Amino acid sequence: MQRTLSPSGLRMAALLMFIAIYTAYSAGPFVWVAMMSLRTTTEISAAPYALPETLHFWKFASAWTESNYDTYFFNSVTIVFSAVAILTIVGGMAAHCFARYRFRFKGLIYLLIFSTIIFPPQVTVIGLFQIMVEYGLYNSRVGLVMVYVAIQMPVTIYILESFFARIPKDLFDAARIDGYSEWAIFWRISLPVALPAISTTIILNTILLWNEFLYAVVLITEDDKRTLPLGVLRFLGDQLEDVGMIATGLMIAIVPVVLIYVFFSERLIQGMTAGAVK
Amino acid sequence: MAVVALDNICKSYGAYSAVRDVNITVADGEFMVLLGPSGCGKSTTLRMIAGLESITSGTLSIDDACMNGVPAKNRDIAMVFQSYALYPHMTVRNNLGFGLKRRQTDRAVVKRRVDEVAASIGLTEYLDRKPHALSGGQRQRVALGRAIVRDPKVFLFDEPLSNLDAALRVSTRAELVRLHRDLSATMIYVTHDQVEAMTMGDRVCIMSDGEVAQIGRPMDVYLNPASTFVAGFLGNPPMNLMPATTDEGGIQTGSGRLAHAGFAPGRKVTFGIRPEDLTSTDDAAQSVISGRVISLEPLGAETLIHVDAGGDKPVIVRGGRIAAAEIDHTIHLSCDPALARFFDPQSGVAIQPGVSQ
Repeated sequence: MQRTLSPSGLRMAALLMFIAIYTAYSAGPFVWVAMMSLRTTTEISAAPYALPETLHFWKFASAWTESNYDTYFFNSVTIVFSAVAILTIVGGMAAHCFARYRFRFKGLIYLLIFSTIIFPPQVTVIGLFQIMVEYGLYNSRVGLVMVYVAIQMPVTIYILESFFARIPKDLFDAARIDGYSEWAIFWRISLPVALPAISTTIILNTILLWNEFLYAVVLITEDDKRTLPLGVLRFLGDQLEDVGMIATGLMIAIVPVVLIYVFFSERLIQGMTAGAVK
Repeated sequence: MAVVALDNICKSYGAYSAVRDVNITVADGEFMVLLGPSGCGKSTTLRMIAGLESITSGTLSIDDACMNGVPAKNRDIAMVFQSYALYPHMTVRNNLGFGLKRRQTDRAVVKRRVDEVAASIGLTEYLDRKPHALSGGQRQRVALGRAIVRDPKVFLFDEPLSNLDAALRVSTRAELVRLHRDLSATMIYVTHDQVEAMTMGDRVCIMSDGEVAQIGRPMDVYLNPASTFVAGFLGNPPMNLMPATTDEGGIQTGSGRLAHAGFAPGRKVTFGIRPEDLTSTDDAAQSVISGRVISLEPLGAETLIHVDAGGDKPVIVRGGRIAAAEIDHTIHLSCDPALARFFDPQSGVAIQPGVSQ
């Protein structure tokens, strides 16, 4: 019996084919690095694309303890967590004000904040370096947090402001009549209702700052203050590249980002605002 | 329980004047309806009473205490919004208790009060649901419950029924009237729906273009509109208005004559008559209006007869279930002179025959 595919079946097959190719294209490098992270450099040199014959989990322990990755990881966590927390709270407050209040020079202030994103980082990094040295913030984790907050603030405000502006004004009026101050309204109404947008900014900022390299490499030179992306440099020498350890270091750096994405993206975004108003 | 008094209240946004010299006194326990078309200033007036808009000039007082600078939270008022304005991240229970918690009410008292109110408006089984899991009518009741639970001095309603379907609107209307009777609270209700105004209000305040056009009991306003605006706004279909000229002992409508004492001859007036006050007559000499029937609208219980009497707009007559009229036939209409109303053609203000204007 001859079986033929219907037009919708053909479309579905083509779509599945496209998704499969795209998944292989985007996930391929990740899988390759994951495999290399469990192989030694010698093994990789012999057969770069081979599957691991022995799983060398000791490499993770070695990178963590002997190659200072525990310090880099701690630095990354501290710096990124601080920067994202400040960005979320301060950016949220600023976005709330831009979305809800009319005040003088509002447009101008908004424009000033946004004008900072038109300059590529390579243009401002020298000036920034000078400023950080002047204020004693060079080679300082606090300094890097401040820089991260500054570079991500416009986008954070932009995302949150557009979301806050969509929250019906009646909700705020109802809270005012219920007796809440503007401060309480921000914490008890704006932030919880805007949780989908908040989670978006948390994910976006965490991923971008976790992987940030340029400002970190310019503003941090002391080894005990380096973040994870700089830690990978440790295995890159003039004469030798320890590819196996680079892969292990990359996996240590990547896994937290993947976990954050898995945990935040699905759960918080659904159904928060449905039913607020008819 | 409170008396709300608005004394020469004005609201301006730059050069634009949204509300002008509004004077309203809402008695203790009264149900006052602010009625008017979109943009007439009724919602702005309500928001000024709520404390959500500042007052440009004039005095707002509740129980003789000036409220002009008092924040919304200290006015002891509750408001039901058109959009319901339920907090989407909170359950029904938390929505109801949110205002009480802010006032440091004891947790046991909050729970008891929320349970009582939920039971009174049929929400007990939905207390643990979030707003998105409720129907439109249930959300509306939560919004109502949130106002009731605080036991405020004054209830404010901003078009609370306009998002409901027709059947639900009728039942919720009755529920609100019952609520007012039970609570005996002062209520101010904004709507553009004249049926709501006529059926719910102790008094109706009709607003036009930022000003009060007329205040009175619904039937008084309906029967004796103070201006052509009120006559044309209230009633569906509205009052028929047409130019007329007075003669000795009556008025000439152009297509007929109404005997009416009290007018000096030769004066131009606007003659108004409700569609239900016109009756067809076979006697052309007795007709107030004569014209050609141009269309019939059978509505089930009644038929609206549109008559071309030579004016800009057709005259509408409310006929019986089966109208004794045929399209393109001439119809003669008469009315009781006592039901006729007259207005000044220039100002639109009502005039009374025999009273010097």
